[in-house]
Amino acid sequence: MNLEQTIIQLADTSGVSGDETKAAELALEMLKEFTDDCYIRNGNVIGHLGKKGTKPHIMIDAHIDQIGFIVTYITDDGFLKISNCGGIDRRLLLAQQVTVLGKEPVTGIVCAIPPHLSTDESKVPEMDEICIDIGMTKEQAEKVISYGDKIVFATGCKKLQGDRITGAALDDRCGVAAILRALEIIKDNKLDYELTVMFSTQEELGERGAKIGVFDIDPDIALAVDVSFALTSDDSEIKCGKMGKGCMIGFAPTLDKELSQQFKAIAEKNSMPYQIEVMNGETGTNADRFSVNKSGVKAVTLSIPLKYMHTPVEVISVSDVENTAQLIAAYLQEVTV
Amino acid sequence: MRTELLEKLCQINGTSGDESRVRDFIISQIADYCEHKVDPLGSIIAYKKGASSAKNKVMISAHMDEVGMIVTSIKSDGTLTVSEVGGVDPRVVIGRQVSVGESDINGVIGAKAIHNLSAEERKKAPKFSSLYVDIGAADREEAEKLVSLGDRVYFASEFLTFGDGYIKGKAIDDRFGCAVMIELIQSELPYDCVFTFVVQEEVGLRGARPAAYTVDPDFALVIEATTAADIPLASGEKRCCELGKGAVVSHMDRSTIYDKELYNISREIANEQGIGWQTKTMVAGGNDSGAIHISRGGVRTTAISAPCRYLHSPSCVVKLSDLDDCEKLAKLMIEKMCTL
Repeated sequence: MNLEQTIIQLADTSGVSGDETKAAELALEMLKEFTDDCYIRNGNVIGHLGKKGTKPHIMIDAHIDQIGFIVTYITDDGFLKISNCGGIDRRLLLAQQVTVLGKEPVTGIVCAIPPHLSTDESKVPEMDEICIDIGMTKEQAEKVISYGDKIVFATGCKKLQGDRITGAALDDRCGVAAILRALEIIKDNKLDYELTVMFSTQEELGERGAKIGVFDIDPDIALAVDVSFALTSDDSEIKCGKMGKGCMIGFAPTLDKELSQQFKAIAEKNSMPYQIEVMNGETGTNADRFSVNKSGVKAVTLSIPLKYMHTPVEVISVSDVENTAQLIAAYLQEVTV
Repeated sequence: MRTELLEKLCQINGTSGDESRVRDFIISQIADYCEHKVDPLGSIIAYKKGASSAKNKVMISAHMDEVGMIVTSIKSDGTLTVSEVGGVDPRVVIGRQVSVGESDINGVIGAKAIHNLSAEERKKAPKFSSLYVDIGAADREEAEKLVSLGDRVYFASEFLTFGDGYIKGKAIDDRFGCAVMIELIQSELPYDCVFTFVVQEEVGLRGARPAAYTVDPDFALVIEATTAADIPLASGEKRCCELGKGAVVSHMDRSTIYDKELYNISREIANEQGIGWQTKTMVAGGNDSGAIHISRGGVRTTAISAPCRYLHSPSCVVKLSDLDDCEKLAKLMIEKMCTL
């Protein structure tokens, strides 16, 4: 596969938490290349590979949802009032172009406060002060938009210098792409254990899709492939990984230490670039749900470094996605029954 | 109004002091229809022949520059610090795609992830001094090969029509005025007049001043885009003017008290001809009239503006019907001023 194109295609397909269908269907199509036994259940994309019933049963997951908004009201003059789905940075909303996923896609602009009404340019609007201008009367709006329709930033992917790309939903479509790429790397290997792939819903609202998905799949070992903070000019080196320096392997009280060590050892053995990401409790990824499923599951988080998380201009390096895929593939080839 | 022409103009990048690409395009559009020259600051002065000579010398003016940013330094991590060029609210810049320099390099203005912001940081929008542009360069050395200090940073924003006859794009202020003037120059006019496409409006009405001196007109008409606040956040007079209600004819703004007789004539003509018009309900904003009306011994000046939401942002919004009203009224006012 052309990894960059796969990432861009996934990231440019909408899938706001709770309304992931479009992105999920695209991911399912891509997954079909590696297994016929795949489907969407309760919103989660699930695919079965390897030898059914043979332990260890390994699950590998990335979330398919992205942050966005939901329409809560249409004002008398045709503007939309909204609420957020996931953690939105309200500092950057004014005058953003968005797409309302109504009966048909509708262009909207987040209303900005004109200078004569703005006494303080450092003021961050509250969510209930935000409204969307769709250039329609209420009657026109009601024909195409219903309460509950989702909204995404209308910022498509673009290439930056080197192998870096920017887009609005790279969190976590690049994780989905990393898993698909890992499956491509191992596609000629016969797996003598059970492997289940999941692209899960509603991670941004508290890992809800992961919770129900892992219950049904009931794995022994679970890998959450997500994104984490790459160092930016305004952030702390202690909290962040570095872009272009490989997969961030999670070490945390809630993650299985041996599993984390195993990934580190694999990276060392194969001379793969990697970074250690230390967290001091829960990880904020789907691994938090996996580890406490049923009687407990060994879980680890593998993260792709990403800048400007939860903005419409997230940035990744494609090499980090490839390196993460290589690490996952090496692990999947090493698993012994 | 030909929206294709407006689209082309809006998609060209040209901040104050950096209007060359806009100027080249405009000259390509008007060269066959008039005599023109470029003044020392870069403004175009275009002498359009009409069917007959005019009693009064009339100058019609719009500005070519748009607001944006300028690169002030390149940091060791390859990101670029910027300052604003013209009045830009930092809140409409953060979290956007941008283009950098004359080769339009892709970049973004990101922000520390919300997860890592302190409660205090979440409540306060950053100032320009803390914003930076990321072009994906790994370090300063890589960035320096592509970007120089003083390069401009432009909004990367698609031009599109949406909703019920609305247009969204960057730089509608004042490529709209440029589009009207190009269309007028390309048409048959009854009287000789002078069109000026001026530079540096956004940094203090600077291009219009020498242009007005050179033209030395009796009357002037400025064609602009002006701030409209017809959004749920504003009510009553605070809305200033509204989209869909027609051309904005001002009596006073922060830069100018407009010629009273011309104001009255504009309204009469609009009413007679059934052209939508409105006036601003606040004394707010300003435009090149501020420089032109006090040029030399004084110039009788009026302005016709398109009401525009989210002015000076990447997402200016105007209504097509208002643009048509402005264009119709401008044409009639020019004729009137030529013979008054």
